Amino acid sequence: MKALYIASTGMAAQERNVEIISNNIANMRTTGYKRQRAEFQDLLYQAYRRAGSGTSEGTQAPVGIEIGSGVKTAATPRIMSQGTVTPTEKQLDVAIRGEGFFAVQLPDGRTAYTRDGSFERDSTGLLVNVDGYQVQPGITIPENANSLSISNDGVVQAFIGTDSAPTQLGQLQLYRFVNKEGLESLGDNNFAETAASGAPQAGVPNTDGMGSALQGYLEQANVNPVTEIADLIAAQRAYEMNARVISGADEMMQATSQMR
Amino acid sequence: MENAQLISLSRQIALQRQMDVVANNMANMTTTGFKASDLMFEDFLMPVAEDNDFGGADRNLHYTQDWSTNHDMTAGAIEQTGNPLDVALMGDGFLSVQTPDGLRYTRNGALQMDASGTLVDLNGNPVLGESGPMKFSDSDTDITIAADGTVSTNNGSKGKLSLTEFANPQVLAREGDNYFSGPAGTAATGTRIMQASIERSNVSGVTEMTTMIRVQRAYQSLASLMQRQDELRTSAVQRLGEVRA
Repeated sequence: MKALYIASTGMAAQERNVEIISNNIANMRTTGYKRQRAEFQDLLYQAYRRAGSGTSEGTQAPVGIEIGSGVKTAATPRIMSQGTVTPTEKQLDVAIRGEGFFAVQLPDGRTAYTRDGSFERDSTGLLVNVDGYQVQPGITIPENANSLSISNDGVVQAFIGTDSAPTQLGQLQLYRFVNKEGLESLGDNNFAETAASGAPQAGVPNTDGMGSALQGYLEQANVNPVTEIADLIAAQRAYEMNARVISGADEMMQATSQMR
Repeated sequence: MENAQLISLSRQIALQRQMDVVANNMANMTTTGFKASDLMFEDFLMPVAEDNDFGGADRNLHYTQDWSTNHDMTAGAIEQTGNPLDVALMGDGFLSVQTPDGLRYTRNGALQMDASGTLVDLNGNPVLGESGPMKFSDSDTDITIAADGTVSTNNGSKGKLSLTEFANPQVLAREGDNYFSGPAGTAATGTRIMQASIERSNVSGVTEMTTMIRVQRAYQSLASLMQRQDELRTSAVQRLGEVRA
């Protein structure tokens, strides 16, 4: 009787499902967070009798007997849809409306990609993210810069000192991937390039299919609490039912063992 | 005398298999595009004794034999995901997937793009359009999949998803990974596609739970039947074997 083991794969899968859902709910207010979903697949089948095997001379079984062996988690794809853009009235907050990621340089030299555009200035005036990682390509904002503005196409301008005309300080760049669902999650709202995502293609906001940059806004998580709670209830019930199958199989085995 | 025990045993073995089927359905309650299976039984007639010396005619004995697992092909619930590469199939059609082991069919429409821009399923196997795998270029955005399976982007149409249907879907064999394999089908006619949605498993918890309780009770009553048969035999041996002085 495989029912015990089959039901245990079901319980393990639902456990994983609840983990994913709780992570989504926990990150409901995380800037630039993209929700995940657990995708399941059935395991291999054991054919006790194959469809098409002969039942007598000239006749064959139209259908066979296939007993499955449970379920496995196939993937936890991220849903890279646009989150709501909310105003923050902060000069250095930038939201991306549309495709693309910002790039930041990690302390180990690697480049990470993020949708979280809550930037700051560090002590040397460099544009960094909240963890102090430098935004790529680097933009330095002088100490005496006033009225900093970031245009929809990512041009960073400010009035230096008492100048009457603005000075261009730099250009924000966005990066996009053929398969952005294939990015590796690094935590800290960061993603890294993988073999599955393909190489990043750089571009200027608002051109070549890139999204536009919005100064003074941040992108909220794309988690929909109603969907998550509905999924949570379904996962919980599925978990309970699988547990019930285990106790059912146990009772059957008990009936066997009590036979004299 | 042993017949009753052997018949009970044949039924118990079949019930264990049915429990496995129920457990597999339950385990796949949240598997995208999963179709429940159902075990069918038939009775197996033992040839009767041909000896005419018996007082009464010898009766047929019916043993239980599991006969087939049927696919329950009813549609599962459709859930909106908001992911443009998720498709739910409404109707009898299947998506075609080119795996290393050959052509497979699936109802799981959680699709992805790989690093080269090819439309793949979660195992990375290309999902076929009517003219082979579907490829997107770097500049393609705003992917739209129409109800008839036509995939288009801001750069125009990319082709149509290949949808296959089967006159008798019971001929399909399950391969795991949400795949079915089977003979070549025909192009689906009545199947519509809903973008940004997926089809949930069609396993009904209530039905499976009742089946399970039925299986469990039948199994237990058989166990007690076998036990009573055994007691009957024990007392027969005792009584008949008593030596009267």
